[in-house]
Amino acid sequence: MSLIGPNGAGKTTTIKIILGLLRPDSGEVKVFGQCPWDNPDIRTLVGVVYEKVYFPTHQTTLDYLKRVCRIFGVSEDRALEVLKLVDLEGAYDRPIKALSAGMLQKFGIAHALVHKPRLLVADEMTSNLDPQARSSLLDLVVELRKNEGVTFLLSSHILPELSRVCDSVAIISYGKVLASGNLVELYDKFTARVLRVSTDNPETLAQAITSLSYVEAVDRDSRGITVKVAEGAEKKLYKDAPSLANKVEAKVLGIESGSASLEELYRLVVTKSGGG
Amino acid sequence: MVKFKGKPFLEIFVSSLQEDYRLPLLEFFAFLYTLGTFALANISIVSEEQSVYGLVSSLMGVPVLIFMILVFKNIAYGLGGDLEKGTIQTLFSYPLKRYAIFLAKILSAVGVALLVLFGIQVFALVVLAPAMILPYLSTVMTTYLASLSYPLLLASVILLVTLIVRKGGLAIVIGIAMFFASTIFQSLATFITLATRSPLPLQMLSVVNPSVTLQYHYRNLSVPAENLGTEIIWAPTSTEVLAYMGIAYLLVFAVLLLSYYFFSRRMNL
Repeated sequence: MSLIGPNGAGKTTTIKIILGLLRPDSGEVKVFGQCPWDNPDIRTLVGVVYEKVYFPTHQTTLDYLKRVCRIFGVSEDRALEVLKLVDLEGAYDRPIKALSAGMLQKFGIAHALVHKPRLLVADEMTSNLDPQARSSLLDLVVELRKNEGVTFLLSSHILPELSRVCDSVAIISYGKVLASGNLVELYDKFTARVLRVSTDNPETLAQAITSLSYVEAVDRDSRGITVKVAEGAEKKLYKDAPSLANKVEAKVLGIESGSASLEELYRLVVTKSGGG
Repeated sequence: MVKFKGKPFLEIFVSSLQEDYRLPLLEFFAFLYTLGTFALANISIVSEEQSVYGLVSSLMGVPVLIFMILVFKNIAYGLGGDLEKGTIQTLFSYPLKRYAIFLAKILSAVGVALLVLFGIQVFALVVLAPAMILPYLSTVMTTYLASLSYPLLLASVILLVTLIVRKGGLAIVIGIAMFFASTIFQSLATFITLATRSPLPLQMLSVVNPSVTLQYHYRNLSVPAENLGTEIIWAPTSTEVLAYMGIAYLLVFAVLLLSYYFFSRRMNL
């Protein structure tokens, strides 16, 4: 599952509450049936990767992971195993302080996997990685889900990555869940009657399209506009958009439906709620 | 729920030790302790309680200063650094109660430094003055306890401030300021006591620093009297010394308890 939302939406706060680092102001959070604040034992079932990972710096990667193995009561062989999993076996004797940002991020992931958690919570897990490392990490996520049955709760701003590994999302803004559930169902719910208008002048055309009576929501980016229309009004937009574009000196480069990305889904949900 | 079989507390403690006392830091401090202790232990055979107090006090002087530097550094830059950088969040991903993490950190930062200090001091005394230790054990221990209570109070305050502001640098500045304030207050309190002939200022200071009480227990504070004799202003009894020491350690305990409560129940990360 992925947790997405604008900056300040409460993603990290939610994760910290789940991990027992923060006490919720109200309400109740249970992880594996237990309150995470009072029951550190549940951490044997949970792995954590933070956006910025910090470890005691003067120990080598292998030594520290062996220590973590002993903390969790798993075989010390697991330390090298997880280092291999993230392609860090060559850095087994390096002090943690000598790792680059990307290597440190990988080390954080290895650290989270030492005790074979059933749930892995990751806040911006790929933020410090290069594209190749990101891709292999996402493959690892898919593999762990498939082969080890690990459940992931991921928070990230890189939505295409999330759509590659997640099958459900929760979209949050200002501490509230705007939409959550299976991705397919959410697409059906929020991207039905959604059309993508590619244009050379999104700002002007978006303003013009907003004035159409059957248009329910409009969102634009640098290359086009995403428009949600009332039921049965799709064909009208195909007809009206080019003529409106002519009036405001914009050019419609194309109109397509049913191809919304996770990014568009997210923007639609946030725009609809008035957030972001 | 899966029960872990490891020894998480010991592992965190050892990890903290490795970070707090990296080679050759502990060795260097231990060398300074030894140098301070043995250089000052210009032992002559002392057979009076007052001389034993004087000897132990002088033995404590430099090593206590080194102890404070080591402990302040461990708390402000060790624990403070963990809080500032976020390493503490990593520790909180392990199956340990918060009190266990707190205890491991405090034992590493203060407990080990205290152990090294005592170890070297007791070793020095046994080697240099074996005949003194046993007959005057209570005097020796009282002097140690009285001398250490104020440094421990400062360390507790630094700990609390570090936990609250999460900035070790600021905490250490407050600790150093408190240390110098105590020296200034002691001079000021002595001056006011002599001027007013009332021991109240020194008694107030003794609440936080009972070594002052012990000092005047062995060397009464007196002024020349009109009849050419001396007028004793303050001569605390053994019971008073113990009472002030008890209050001082209660203060240390209270600040530690407050820090523990804050760390384990109130601190959001």
